[in-house]
Amino acid sequence: MSLFILLGVSMIIYFLIRLMPVDFIQDKINAINQGGATVSEETVNAMYAMYGLGDNSFLGILEGYVSWLSALVRFDLGTSFVYGIPVADVIFEHMGVSFAVALIATIFEFMIAIPLGITAATHQYSFRDYIVTILVMIGISLPSFFFGQMLKDLLALKLGWFPASGLVNATASYTGVELLLDYVRHMFIPILTIVILSIGARMRMTRTNMLEVMNSDYIRTARAKGLSENVVINKHAFRNTLIPLVTSLAGLLPSLFSGAIITEQVFDLPGIGNIALDAMNRGDIPFIMGYNMFLALLSVIGVLLADLMYGLVDPRVKLE
Amino acid sequence: MEKLKNKEEVVEEVKDTEVPLDKNVRLMSPTRMVVRRFFRSKLSILGLIMCISLFVFSFLGPVFYTEWGEIELDESGKTEYSISETTYEVNGVEYTLRQTTEKSLKDNFLAPPSSEHILGTDNEGYDIFVRLMYGGRISLIVSFIAVFLITILGVLMGGIAGFFGGVIDNVIMRLCDILICLPGIPILLIISTILDASNIDAKYRIYLLMIYLTFISWPGTARLVRGQILSLREQEYMVAAEAMGYSTPRKIFKHLVPNVMPQLIVSMSLSLGSMILYEATLSYLNLGVKAPYAAWGTMINIISTNQDILQNHLNVWVPAGVCIVIAVLGFNFVGDGLRDALDPKARR
Repeated sequence: MSLFILLGVSMIIYFLIRLMPVDFIQDKINAINQGGATVSEETVNAMYAMYGLGDNSFLGILEGYVSWLSALVRFDLGTSFVYGIPVADVIFEHMGVSFAVALIATIFEFMIAIPLGITAATHQYSFRDYIVTILVMIGISLPSFFFGQMLKDLLALKLGWFPASGLVNATASYTGVELLLDYVRHMFIPILTIVILSIGARMRMTRTNMLEVMNSDYIRTARAKGLSENVVINKHAFRNTLIPLVTSLAGLLPSLFSGAIITEQVFDLPGIGNIALDAMNRGDIPFIMGYNMFLALLSVIGVLLADLMYGLVDPRVKLE
Repeated sequence: MEKLKNKEEVVEEVKDTEVPLDKNVRLMSPTRMVVRRFFRSKLSILGLIMCISLFVFSFLGPVFYTEWGEIELDESGKTEYSISETTYEVNGVEYTLRQTTEKSLKDNFLAPPSSEHILGTDNEGYDIFVRLMYGGRISLIVSFIAVFLITILGVLMGGIAGFFGGVIDNVIMRLCDILICLPGIPILLIISTILDASNIDAKYRIYLLMIYLTFISWPGTARLVRGQILSLREQEYMVAAEAMGYSTPRKIFKHLVPNVMPQLIVSMSLSLGSMILYEATLSYLNLGVKAPYAAWGTMINIISTNQDILQNHLNVWVPAGVCIVIAVLGFNFVGDGLRDALDPKARR
């Protein structure tokens, strides 16, 4: 099933590159060559061969697709124009930064959003509920580029508490613990941006589920038994709220590798999203194609993981 | 007719005998009840006000405020003179060389807010306040078109899949699976390159990109509609419709789809917010609306390359961001309010 989805996605992505006029691709390659980096003739020819460009008959397109797909199965995504090394290597090289930022952000997101969601649900329609709801709604509504730039302007440029961009301090050479601290300092604002923007969705998810659970019969039973409110909420209600949360976490895991294009661009982090955006602007077609397939693969794995997890946490669900 | 009369009589009676008002509530139509519940929530009223004021601002604003146009440069810049002094020492005697340079600044750029320019001018010399209005037009039009298309396509596909089931359902749902796994912005990057290659007019790029966005966003709506229809089609009134010998399109679109409308309206208003965000992001990445035309995202774009504006000319980029937040927040509040108002379980 997942293979079928991947096949479909690959077809659409391949179709897209065939829409690009070949002389346009040539133009882009020339532009890269002028910009200092050199794209060797072999690389270009290899790419043409790989995508089967130049033959625009139906059979030619089909043939090109098959040859590209067979290379794909062998994890051969072609050679990046700009970097001159295989696309897969570029992706793996920059994946780490994106993953670190996303992982830390996700941990904080869950740690903050879940308690907020629970209080909002247990105090439904109270002042507290409204305040929390409005705040997280504002968080959802903020465009990441705008909010990121605002934080950068305020915390980094005006107050000077944190470095504005990049991942390491270029002028100092740190080692060991100091290097780690420098990473943390550079990652702080990007992570803060992501956390504030993403808390809303998670909090509202928790709140809705919690409300649903709180209205169910067994909660009434638990209360009727005379259990303290604390036990009812934390032991009976919350555990059932966890089902969708854990499922969504499983679905989220692969996407942690995919990189946040906008946030990374704003803070100039050398993550995979920023690299992809840069590659796009410079016309690095093999990289873009590879990156898109990589993302599609991640989201297919995400769907698969979420399904598996759902079966694991909720014994009522039977996997076929 | 007979029934209506009866109702009116009941109302009259109630008035006459001065029974507590809450007995009147029973006579309200479901629509009126929804409207009432919607307006009971302060947040949804706030959201509605935010949306309406933005609409008025961007669509009627340029009609009344005609001082500047969208791509009209303020060319009232002044000529600047600067004097530089250099001192030489030749054979123990000091000479001073004074040089006067004349720099003609035709465009009045980065002007601070004044009575002439309510929010000042940007780095090109365009009036920011006016560009906010035109940017709002683009954002709102584009998002509305996209949401409309998404809904139509989603209802059509979801309705067909849910009603017929079997092979058709399978094919459509697998298509949905594929489309949902397509990465959003990265593919838009590719499409933008294709548009660059085929020399599309800057004005129409954003529409084409939004059509693509529609193409990958309809599965969400289709799934929603399908799920609802799967449960609805087993109900008695569908059996009745079958017995009446109605045609299939009539059964789907007149009897099933209206019952999905509440969820559809909620998802539409919520996705309006996300479409505005998408459009802004595209414009920010310089993929959507391109200069000289204005869009909220494009107006913020400048700070990604210009540190000076980011730090010292907040009037250039903050208003556009605030507009985006107001629009998205407004639609989200309205969507939330509608969800609560339309939910039959949550009667308060």
